[in-house]
Amino acid sequence: MSLLQKFANIGKVIKQNNGIVGTYLKLFRIDAFKWGDLVGEDKYGNKYYQNNYYFYGRNRWVEFPLSVGHDYDASQIPAEWHRWLQYICDEPPSQLPLPKRKWMADHVENLSGTDRCYVPYSTTRPKIEAWVPPKRNS
Amino acid sequence: MLSSVCRAVVSKTSHQLRSICRSAAVASDKSFVHRDSPDNNPDTPFQFTPENLKRCETIIANYPKGHEAAACLPLLDLAQRQNDNWLPISAMHKVAEMLKMPRMRVYEVATFYTMFNREPVGKYFIQICTTTPCMLGGVGSDVILDAIRENIGIDVGHTTDDKMFTLAEVECLGACVNAPMVQINDDYYEDLTVEDMHKILNDLKKGVKPKAGPQSGQNHRFASEPKTGLTALSEPPTGPGFGVRADL
Amino acid sequence: MLRLWPVRQLSRIQNALGLTQTAFKSSQPAPAPDLVEVFIDDKQVFVEPGTTVLQACATAGVEIPRFCYHDRLSIAGNCRMCLVEVEKSAKPIASCAMPVMKGMKVKTDSPLTRKAREGVMEFLLVNHPLDCPICDQGGECDLQDQSMAFGSDRSRFTDNAFTGKRAVEDKNIGPLIKTIMTRCIHCTRCIRFASEVAGVDDLGTSGRGTEMQVGTYVEKMFKSELSGNVIDLCPVGALTSKPYAFTTRPWETRRIESIDVMDAVGSNIVVSMRTNEVMRILPRLNEDINEEWISDKTRFAYDGLKRQRLTTPFVRNSKGDLIPTDWETAFFDIADRVKNIVPSSIAGIAGCHTDLETLVCLKDMVNRLGSELLCTEESFPMINSGTDFRSNYVMNTTIAGIEESDLVFLVGTNPRLEGSLVNARIRKSWVHNEMCVFALGAPVDLSYDYQYLGDSFSVLKDIADGTHVLAKALAEAEKPMIILGSDALQKSDSNLILDTVRSIAKNAKKASKHPDWKVFNVLHRNASQVGALDMGYQPGVDILKCNKPNLVFLVGADAGKLTEDDILGNSGVIYIGSHGDAGAQMADVVLPGAAYTEKDAMYVNTEGRAQIGRQAVSPPGMARHDWKIIRALSEILGVTLPYDKLSDVRSRLAEISPTFDRPGRAEETGFEDISDNVVIDKMAVKGTEAPVAPVLLKLRDFYMTDPISRASPTMAKCVQAYDESEKNPYSRPEAS
Repeated sequence: MSLLQKFANIGKVIKQNNGIVGTYLKLFRIDAFKWGDLVGEDKYGNKYYQNNYYFYGRNRWVEFPLSVGHDYDASQIPAEWHRWLQYICDEPPSQLPLPKRKWMADHVENLSGTDRCYVPYSTTRPKIEAWVPPKRNS
Repeated sequence: MLSSVCRAVVSKTSHQLRSICRSAAVASDKSFVHRDSPDNNPDTPFQFTPENLKRCETIIANYPKGHEAAACLPLLDLAQRQNDNWLPISAMHKVAEMLKMPRMRVYEVATFYTMFNREPVGKYFIQICTTTPCMLGGVGSDVILDAIRENIGIDVGHTTDDKMFTLAEVECLGACVNAPMVQINDDYYEDLTVEDMHKILNDLKKGVKPKAGPQSGQNHRFASEPKTGLTALSEPPTGPGFGVRADL
Repeated sequence: MLRLWPVRQLSRIQNALGLTQTAFKSSQPAPAPDLVEVFIDDKQVFVEPGTTVLQACATAGVEIPRFCYHDRLSIAGNCRMCLVEVEKSAKPIASCAMPVMKGMKVKTDSPLTRKAREGVMEFLLVNHPLDCPICDQGGECDLQDQSMAFGSDRSRFTDNAFTGKRAVEDKNIGPLIKTIMTRCIHCTRCIRFASEVAGVDDLGTSGRGTEMQVGTYVEKMFKSELSGNVIDLCPVGALTSKPYAFTTRPWETRRIESIDVMDAVGSNIVVSMRTNEVMRILPRLNEDINEEWISDKTRFAYDGLKRQRLTTPFVRNSKGDLIPTDWETAFFDIADRVKNIVPSSIAGIAGCHTDLETLVCLKDMVNRLGSELLCTEESFPMINSGTDFRSNYVMNTTIAGIEESDLVFLVGTNPRLEGSLVNARIRKSWVHNEMCVFALGAPVDLSYDYQYLGDSFSVLKDIADGTHVLAKALAEAEKPMIILGSDALQKSDSNLILDTVRSIAKNAKKASKHPDWKVFNVLHRNASQVGALDMGYQPGVDILKCNKPNLVFLVGADAGKLTEDDILGNSGVIYIGSHGDAGAQMADVVLPGAAYTEKDAMYVNTEGRAQIGRQAVSPPGMARHDWKIIRALSEILGVTLPYDKLSDVRSRLAEISPTFDRPGRAEETGFEDISDNVVIDKMAVKGTEAPVAPVLLKLRDFYMTDPISRASPTMAKCVQAYDESEKNPYSRPEAS
């Protein structure tokens, strides 16, 4: 690979990201300095790219929508795209959609650390039973 | 060869089979915990008769003041005799009350002594001794026991339906020289044969009181003297001064 | 039954042991002429004649294994574990029952002794189930320990591999004691305890030989206020605690030495704790108070510490409901209430479990706020010198002193239920020392015989005038005691009772040949009472009923003595305490405090003995130590108390009274003669001549008397079991 090709790639990246400012913002937001083909988009707004110019393991990636800001994480990727992104299958779900079963639940991202997180409840009796004051007016 | 193999197999299997059943051996046919029953409960009526009450007073008076509890045993016996040869729990309570003893102390005495019957018994309470001397002496207690079973139709520990007889197997009653023997209520019947046993039981059924003491087993002897006549003390007793030095 | 010569012999032996132990401590073989010389493992020991071999061995520092022998019970000699070899004796002897003889040479570790112990252990284990893994006694089992130390590693009794071991059915003797009678080794300790110490002849042996059973023969509840002690006495797992069953192993728990507050006796206890939870309560040896027994309420009411607890502060809202809140809100709410009222109309009431630290903090705070209205719930007549002298309101002879006395006169008290261990002492003295007991009050079962004098006040008057037979008996007695129950003094007309009893005591003291002997004693019911009176609290809430305070601090006051009508206006009731009971229900602000196992605290018992209880677990939730709550509150109210640490509070206590500075000691009281002569207000001594009667009559009344025992499910079960046993014909009182 010649030096010229590398410069050409830089040009492609800048062009795909709409100029130097756009490239800088992308780099700032998701640490990616890449160009590639848009393979598909899921209903949450995640965009999936592929470019086999990069070596295996880096040739498929996801760009999270601007709406999530910096609060993105891997659990926001739905299961069908997860299998493509992790090389479990070759065809992305946009080309070969998975059969939709009636028991399949909607994808939910990991809510740990938010106020909607799952809190298990105790099944044991408390060691101390607190006094509940009787209602005076009932 | 084959038989010895069979024997080995059988003995091994029986050994195994025996160890499957692991319940503890019962040492007594009596329960040492009281259970209320319709005829034995704290409300069972029991009162000493006036003459027995007088006897009780005499018995209690035998003991120093403050030690009335010593009269527990005779009083319980009196209560049992008065109450058809068995001791209801109300009688124990009565005795406790009379002697100012805690009830538990009376229960302890009544359960310790096997001659107190804490459950109702028949009119005739047959106690057959099956200890070694009675088992071996004369015709042996085994055949006597079989004779009793056959005659009154009950097994050990049971009472006949007409409440006439209760049969109990007991340990040595101290009449070993006149073995085999049974005790029916207060009377000993000794030197028994199978015929004697049937006769005694049939008499009792008829309401006739058979003669107590040695029966036909040793030719109706008087007591426990040897069959062949006395071997000692056969001559008349010597008078005073016998064998004493002449100068004294 | 028990007042026979062998029992008295035993006490003489025990006294002898006490003497010999001191004799041995001097250690020089300087024999007093009446001492017997014995050799224990070739070591020379001098002991009193009549001492048993086992006790002589103890003096020499050799402990003989035993099951049936117990220091405080009569000698049974039936377990045979204490066999030792004695030179020139053909067979090993049972050392617990054998008195020493001159020149006896005892060998406690010879091959014969060891073989004898091994043999006895083998016999005991023939029928003892090997269920240690599921047995509650595991880890504190005498049989387990001694079979490890003295037993063989195998048994020659192989036939029970085929026939099985002896099995005995379990008995149901109430909701406190669990019985697994197959484990019983027939040591009869429980039977002897029941008949000698508890005075309830309910337990015994039935049957004999292999079929012997320990139990009640008929199905009935073991009705005694001391019944739990048989659990400690049982050397195996035959009698275990029902509430404690299958909860912890002894090696998992931490043991904290503390003081009981269920009655005013101040029994010494050990609190077993695991994972910040009180698992059980056991007695701790204190010869002066509880020996080694405790009452059932002390032992089993601990589960009340886990229910009905106040875990957060509450403030009453405009609708009249108590709403959980945080400390800051609650404190500011109180500050608002205090701001708007006259300082002199603030009052404080101390309840039955209040410790000294809390009492002093409350008193200092209320005083600093400008009020003198401080009182206890339990009342005490303020005649003559009132509570100015300690001798007026404590048990002057001390509990151990009961054993010296030869005549006890109980006035308006049921010591069996008000101070079970005081009653156990009286019974002990009655059995061993031929003590006479007279009682005025209710004809209750005290577990010993006494002469009942009725309940009328005129009898007291007759005794005071010297016309009654008891007056003569009191004058002739060597060391008479009069125990006046606090129960009888609760009515407003009790002034006369106290006055009359004082004059009886005065006459008896005058006639007594022992000038130092104190006749007058008061038996209190509440653990806080003597401490509060020492500190200058007014006894009884009458003072508040006259003065109508605006704001009342209730510190654990749950007896419901003060009603809402007694408080002026609606500015409020502030409750500080551990349980949601009567006090918290009427309160406007509730501050959660700590219960007695949750704080380092001092209590003064009815003898006037200050004792320190240690903290076993931490207070639940947001609850805090009571004295710290008051200290924090004082800062908000602008009257900051000058102590920050527990040691500072203790120094303040020491300033108030030197008795608070000497925990564990019962200071001798004085000035009885003066206190009788100080007459503050002669007019106060008047009242109607009503019958004198205690409140607690039956064992049923004993179980639930305070907020902790009222919250305890175990105590509720006891009450239920008592009610059921009333229907049981075998539980009817026996004629005696």
